[in-house]
Amino acid sequence: MRIWVARLHLPTLAVAAVLVAVWSALSWRYGAYVLPPPLSVLRGLVEVVVSGDIWRHAGASLGRIVVGFGGAVVVAVLLGLLVFLSRVAGGVVRDVLTVLNSTSVFVWIVISIIWFGLSNWAPIFTTFMITLPVVASNIVEGVASVDRRLLEMGDVYRLSGRRKFAAIVVPSTLPYLVAGMKVGFGLALKVSVVAEIFGVTSGIGYVMNYSREVLATQMVFVWALVMIAVMTLTDTLLFDSLSRRLMRWR
Amino acid sequence: MKLEVCGVGKDYLIPVIDTVSFSVEAGEFVCLLGPNGCGKTTLLRIIGGIEPASRGRVTLAGRPVVVDERHDRKVGVVFQEDRLLPWLTLRDNVGLVLTPLGLGPAARRAVAERYLRLVGLAGFEDYYPGRVSGGMRQRAAIARALAIEPDLLLMDEPFGALDAQNRRIMQHEVRRIWRETGRTIVFVTHAIEEAVAIGTTLIMLSARPSRVRAAIRNADRTERGALTDDLNTMIMEEVARQQESPPS
Repeated sequence: MRIWVARLHLPTLAVAAVLVAVWSALSWRYGAYVLPPPLSVLRGLVEVVVSGDIWRHAGASLGRIVVGFGGAVVVAVLLGLLVFLSRVAGGVVRDVLTVLNSTSVFVWIVISIIWFGLSNWAPIFTTFMITLPVVASNIVEGVASVDRRLLEMGDVYRLSGRRKFAAIVVPSTLPYLVAGMKVGFGLALKVSVVAEIFGVTSGIGYVMNYSREVLATQMVFVWALVMIAVMTLTDTLLFDSLSRRLMRWR
Repeated sequence: MKLEVCGVGKDYLIPVIDTVSFSVEAGEFVCLLGPNGCGKTTLLRIIGGIEPASRGRVTLAGRPVVVDERHDRKVGVVFQEDRLLPWLTLRDNVGLVLTPLGLGPAARRAVAERYLRLVGLAGFEDYYPGRVSGGMRQRAAIARALAIEPDLLLMDEPFGALDAQNRRIMQHEVRRIWRETGRTIVFVTHAIEEAVAIGTTLIMLSARPSRVRAAIRNADRTERGALTDDLNTMIMEEVARQQESPPS
């Protein structure tokens, strides 16, 4: 019984029910353009699932994220390797990441529109530039926190540099990589959707902005729900199972 | 293999080891004793080629021991901590250090299992270090050090983190393993009873900056009580001396 309560997050559901009631009341008071009633949002959700729009737009957004965020992960891993190999390079990488970390999303959106025009590459590039410092900072921190005493053990037993890297550095850094990817992916979804407002004709961001323009406020809510669903699903299905698999030894 | 320590000294900000010389014949079990902070661990690390000496030299079978990542010595080290890789099973932890010896996967597995059995870990080969007790982890670390069939086995207070009962058991085990394998062992400890119980030669270092205060044969292992008393007296003198002259 107690387990089921925990599983269903019953208190959360109760709070949600209250919020939906308040939402209904406010919607009735202010009108459907400002706040569409819950039922019309639900109807809209069914509609996008039935028409297949959900797959088209969520798929387009996810495709861009996979390229932009995937590229960021690859580059971040290479930077981690560089930091392991050279102390000087490590300092430079850290400084560059600090600068990138303090650059606004909007800077990259504007620059990417200038550079890539109204194409797929604008949201991809923006996603790449925003997620790179997040994932890379995590990996760099992971590489820096590798236990020196384990590396010394590797030296005593004459392990080659490559084997020390594979057997000691990589496994120590993996938890940091997974944590960085988890945060980075959430960020990628949020950022790429914003970048999609400009110049592309598919994706969750595009369709949300379009719905606003044609005064279909309930569809803005529908797509917001889709975004939340995509985020939650990737988090539980992908990253949680990935980190469980990698951390079997714990 | 014969180990010679000739006039070895080490300075950090202050001189830690003044000059220490002694030699160890093949098959001996040497215990390095001394008050805390006299540089026992540092001396062991110099002998193992983990850090360089400020002066003097160490030779193993006539060849100088130098600090170099590409060295070709077969020296097994058991550190104060187990230093096992938590993401590898006990078998893979032992197997890992066999890779530089050019053994194939099957041979590595067989050797790892043989040495895990020797230290009493048969049946625990597939366990991760986090799943076994501290004493078992330290046994696995000993199995790893023995598996490379080292010319010299260095042990740095390997039982310091264990409780009294496990400590007693492990001392007994190490003594048995030494008898069965005939390895040359240098064992650092600050516990006199431990040294008297297991060493064939006891080397007592003085307070910092250290020299050899006494080198005692303990092969026949008679008169243990008197020997323990003598060593206790020595160590108290050294501790007192260290307190009188704080490092300037």
